Amino acid sequence: MIEVEKLTKDYGTVVAVDDVSFSVGRGEIVGFLGPNGAGKSTTMRILAGFLGATSGRVEIAGHNVVEAPLQARGSLGYMPEAAPLYPEMRVREYLTFRARLKRMPRAERAKAVERAMKLASVTEMRDTLIAHLSKGYRQRVALSDALVSSPPLLILDEPTAGLDPNQIREVRSVIKGLTESHTILLSTHILSEVESTCDRALVIDRGKLIAEGSIDELRSRRRATSVTLLLRDAAGGAKKLLAGVRGVKKAKSKRLDGDLRRATLLLADNVDPQDVIEAAIAVLAKTDIGVREATPVRATLEEVFAQLTHADMGEGSDEADP
Amino acid sequence: MSGLAAVYRREMLSMWVTPLAWVLLTVFLLIQGLSFYTIVVHISNMSAVSMDNGPAQAYFGQSIFLLVSLLLVCPALSMRSFAEERRSGTIEALLTAPVTATGVVLGKFLAMLTTYVLMWAPTVLYIVILRNTGQVDWAVVASSYLGVAFIGAGYLAIGTLMSAMTTSQLLAFVLTMMAQFGLFILGIGEYIFDPGLLHAISGHVSVLTQMDEMSKGIIDLRRLVFDSTLIVVPLFVTVRVVDSWRWG
Repeated sequence: MIEVEKLTKDYGTVVAVDDVSFSVGRGEIVGFLGPNGAGKSTTMRILAGFLGATSGRVEIAGHNVVEAPLQARGSLGYMPEAAPLYPEMRVREYLTFRARLKRMPRAERAKAVERAMKLASVTEMRDTLIAHLSKGYRQRVALSDALVSSPPLLILDEPTAGLDPNQIREVRSVIKGLTESHTILLSTHILSEVESTCDRALVIDRGKLIAEGSIDELRSRRRATSVTLLLRDAAGGAKKLLAGVRGVKKAKSKRLDGDLRRATLLLADNVDPQDVIEAAIAVLAKTDIGVREATPVRATLEEVFAQLTHADMGEGSDEADP
Repeated sequence: MSGLAAVYRREMLSMWVTPLAWVLLTVFLLIQGLSFYTIVVHISNMSAVSMDNGPAQAYFGQSIFLLVSLLLVCPALSMRSFAEERRSGTIEALLTAPVTATGVVLGKFLAMLTTYVLMWAPTVLYIVILRNTGQVDWAVVASSYLGVAFIGAGYLAIGTLMSAMTTSQLLAFVLTMMAQFGLFILGIGEYIFDPGLLHAISGHVSVLTQMDEMSKGIIDLRRLVFDSTLIVVPLFVTVRVVDSWRWG
């Protein structure tokens, strides 16, 4: 459904998307992951035909977005980030307008609008002014707009951004309900969202595609890679003891206020962090070092995908996974 | 032209469900009513009125009120068209639908033009009132309305372009008003310059002279060509501007 080859977009001096190639097959649900500002939105806007690429080739359902823009845009439903809508229109009015804009035959329009409203659960708001809708409803109206012409491909840019947990659950369940009949590319910076809805993930960072993999691969990597301990350890003898615990690759310790220290244990591959915590506490219990806290630290997004691609991303990433 | 009809319908709806068109209509009709009233009072005090200087001619051809109302109405009608879409981000949804830039620009422009013409529609009543007390040459009236429509369409096209060049409605309004005022001042040159090239140019672009002629039933093709240029060139540039957003 989507073929992207050597896609590059630069805004003068800033390169937003740098030589990205990927493809999405029919019926796939693909998550497009990356921290904010990584180039997700720019890439999606190029796919949707809102922006032109500096170089590279994009095909949507077999139509080149430059040579056959109307056919390409006609075969996808795009939901922009932040779901911009006309506040002065009513929900059904807006969707009817969108259906007309997407060249749906007059006879099918009313039915298509009803269907799209039902799929995105906004039917009860059909006669409400968009200005009066909550953020969650607006997001769903934008989603039903993407659905209204029954396009084979959906491109959803952060469909759950800015919603509260209940609304996120609702929107996710709507998206899951669509997976049978649509190919979907959705972007997010939340790893668990990809886990819960997608088959496959693409990871983009600083404009470059840094990883690509199935969710199963992803899931197996998504375990703690280190453990931190908060210790009462005036003498500083804990570091040596902890380095000897089974499964610990490396132990670090840092002095905090008073006689408190924070120890960080990097784990060897395929080690259960729970076992390490248990063993570490057992070792420390024999001494006069007190254990105040023990926390397994989950890998950040970038670390997970760095592992996936066996690339060396270094440490100290500040992109936390909520 | 894809998307023209859908965009036109949405713009018409959006124009008339929000207060803007109604507020403009009210102000416009107040100004026109004042203009008509003063003309009628003035002419009814005159002992003899020639055929070329009747109240309808004065209303369309000699009244500064007409230009004042256009100076207000045209920028206000066109300021939202693209500036608001870009500020609120709805332009992204609009341009990712299977539409062409030409379709979107023309759809918006025609909706503005329709609204503008609808604003003039109630003024036909003034002519009906005149007919009840004297003679009215309907062909001359038609020529006057043609002039008003062409001039307004040119101003609206300029306004569309200004709106596409900024995300601020206020700035679009001011720029359009300045462009209209500039054209008006250029026309005033007819009364300032000695006969010669500048005088001729000023005479050709003068809105006042054009309306004076058309209110007497003189339809000069050169004036309509000039007006059409004022419509086509800004709209063409607007289409290019809209296309350029994709490649910017």
